[in-house]
Amino acid sequence: MIVRKLCTYEQLVGAALCVAYVMTLVWTASDLAMSRDESFYAHAAKDYGAWITELLTNPKSALNREHIDRAWDYNWEHPAWMKLAFASSWLVHQKLGIYSSESLAFRFPGMLAAGLLLWLIYAWGVVTIGRMGALVAALVFALMPRVFYHSHLAAFDVPIAFFVTLTAYAYWRTLSDRRWAVVTGLTFGLALATKHNSWMLPGIFVIHYLWVRRQYALADRLDRPTLSWLPSMLILGPVILIATWPWVWHETFRRLLAYVQFHLRHVHYTYEYLGTSYFEPPLPMSAPFLMTLFTVSLTFLVLALIGVFYRRSALALPSKTQRGDPTDTKADVLWLGCLVAPFLAIALPSSPIFGGTKHWITAYPFLALFAGWGFVAAVEGAKGGLFAERRWPAWAFAGLCLAPGLVQTAHSHPFALSHYTPIAGGVPGAADLGMNRQFWGFTTGSLAGFIAETLPDGGTVWTCDTTWGAWRMMQADGRLPNDIRPARSMTEADLVLVHHEPHFNEVDFQAWMAFDDVQPVHVLTYDGVPLISVYENKRLGRRLE
Amino acid sequence: MADPGRKSSLAAWVWVLVAGVAAFELVAHPVIRAGVPSEDSWEDATAFVRARFEPTDRIVAAPRWTDPIVRSYLGDLLSPSSASVGDLAGVDRLWEVGIRGATTRSEPPALDTSFEGVHVRMWLVADDEVLFDFVEEVDHAKVDLLTETGAQHCPRVRAQVHRGGLGYGPLPPTERFVCDPARPWLWVGATVMADLDLEPRRCIWQHPAGRKPVRATFDDVSFGERLVLYGGLDYNNERTAGNVAVLLRVFIDDRLAGEMRHRDRDGWSRLEIDTARLNGTTRKVRIETTAAKPHARTFCWSASTRRARGEQ
Repeated sequence: MIVRKLCTYEQLVGAALCVAYVMTLVWTASDLAMSRDESFYAHAAKDYGAWITELLTNPKSALNREHIDRAWDYNWEHPAWMKLAFASSWLVHQKLGIYSSESLAFRFPGMLAAGLLLWLIYAWGVVTIGRMGALVAALVFALMPRVFYHSHLAAFDVPIAFFVTLTAYAYWRTLSDRRWAVVTGLTFGLALATKHNSWMLPGIFVIHYLWVRRQYALADRLDRPTLSWLPSMLILGPVILIATWPWVWHETFRRLLAYVQFHLRHVHYTYEYLGTSYFEPPLPMSAPFLMTLFTVSLTFLVLALIGVFYRRSALALPSKTQRGDPTDTKADVLWLGCLVAPFLAIALPSSPIFGGTKHWITAYPFLALFAGWGFVAAVEGAKGGLFAERRWPAWAFAGLCLAPGLVQTAHSHPFALSHYTPIAGGVPGAADLGMNRQFWGFTTGSLAGFIAETLPDGGTVWTCDTTWGAWRMMQADGRLPNDIRPARSMTEADLVLVHHEPHFNEVDFQAWMAFDDVQPVHVLTYDGVPLISVYENKRLGRRLE
Repeated sequence: MADPGRKSSLAAWVWVLVAGVAAFELVAHPVIRAGVPSEDSWEDATAFVRARFEPTDRIVAAPRWTDPIVRSYLGDLLSPSSASVGDLAGVDRLWEVGIRGATTRSEPPALDTSFEGVHVRMWLVADDEVLFDFVEEVDHAKVDLLTETGAQHCPRVRAQVHRGGLGYGPLPPTERFVCDPARPWLWVGATVMADLDLEPRRCIWQHPAGRKPVRATFDDVSFGERLVLYGGLDYNNERTAGNVAVLLRVFIDDRLAGEMRHRDRDGWSRLEIDTARLNGTTRKVRIETTAAKPHARTFCWSASTRRARGEQ
């Protein structure tokens, strides 16, 4: 199968999607305080940035093992590629001041990955589904509330979704054009160097490859797909992982093993699901599926299901192939593999409890591509009726399909991790069902104004799930005055924040005891559901009017 | 055999299905948001309760997740005791402020009114009268720790509290009985603990020290028909089974009157001791806690003596 090149118009549409999305992310980023994990990665990026500066000015010293270990010891549990990107962006900002805030300097590489991912979904969609289906697919991905949130962050989740999709695309191109084998190895290396979600890619590709090979063999085709992607991935992948990660330049095997073991024996996050706070496995197998149902527009999910059904013949087992049958490189089978594998990995009873939808976010580009097919199926089916020989009904239909996602995404900001779709009853419905309310402590950003007003002469705040790094970033961004400091002890704080998740009830009750007071002076709510309670230390004599 | 005409006619209507789902989402979204009670509704409803509230009343929120909102309006009427979850002994009226049709009780209320989405209900409660609340009186107790060399007095002192946060457990009161400064968990005092269900329990922290008991003695306890005691561990320890049981023993005038053996995952448990023969008298009560190994035995209990309303 020869994959056609995108024409200029199509490339421009892809680029426009990318630029528009990145601009939207930049425009809305200041509404979001840094999350817990971002604050760790920003810390790491500063360390790495200092090392890069040393490398450029005094390479001999920088390459000294002691210097490498000192700079790269922090956050060793994640490989370096995106943190290097955050560090580079921050260094550029330090020199040129190109971003409006320090947090944006760290976040921009992640935003760029999100924009490029839309471009990639569109590009892959164009050569498989067609222009309109591809556009719908890209926008379906863009208009998932939690994808939109994660796209803002200096974190790895959207970047790994980008690199997984890019590697899958390169692998798929390799099957019909062996020149792509090197690209597959390179992109797999970057995926490995971004996050461990990439570990499942070789397995998916091997299954897909055997599927395609079997099909070609039964069709008696002589031009079998190349296997060159495999050695490329196996050689270039680890090389890039190690080359971009100075931490493993010394004691390579021991440190890589520690990295792998860290994730295989990951701590369990406490996660509320259907009224139970799970703190040890197994989380119900339904969790990733129900969470997707409750957090992605139902219209998108219905389109994706229709898409899978519409492509059922392309998904048929290779054993049904007969001699002389037409063959192809089975993009649909690959997409289905990349869609299903992350869900299964999380659903396994033995998997550590992660909970958040970001842990299977690498599946969503492929869900979006099937939604593109679903859109095409609906339009094709209606060609004899309303949609016959007219283009506007199809465009209007596309608008209708995308509207729920647009409305939900707009409404989810800046509380996307607390957002639930109408099928869950919205945010209050999800609270009734006992679904996870939030995590990472970033919602404190929505209280910055209240805190600054409440403590006009400065003071201290016990920040609960918000890290001190995230707090300092709000100050660096000018969202909080520098004289309002995080408090080490609850009893000594002027204000105490409590992020509402059931396992944080303990902290709520500590606040009652700390101030002998059960009355929050303020409750931050989202659609009427409490996210943060603020308690005031009246013993210190500060009384809110 | 499949009918191709039927197939194609079904395919022609797929877009209607999708459009219907999209329309549902677009309509449901504002409908759900419109159902969220306004601040005015909360203010009106809670002002209604405030105007009628008596000190022997209790206020609850329904559904439970609205509790912080209700406390933000009416929290000044509540204390850590009344905001905690417990039975209704000593309560005259139960006020419920609720939304979304949720309620905490199935029986019909004595009062039921609504403020644009916020429901106020009130029930008259005929539960037991409380004669002596151990949690309220714990500051007047005598606490000691039995050791190999005899009883060691645990003085009531001002002591440091932990800084708060996940996994730190209940925050101790600044003034409490401290048995051993080297073992910071070995104190006795009233706190609020998250139980196995993550509910707040106002209780007396009495972490066992080992096989030798930690003892809290209350003189002059007025008795009614029963002594009701609840106990449990902090959720961090209660939920991870594997540690030894905690034994709590109740002595009345130095005679064993009842005991609770609490194992992990028992949750907040109840012990009821029939004290009808002591009704109307005043006695000395000693509560002892022990555990073969004290590790992670973050035990907390509450108790009261009671009698049925109207009894003398």
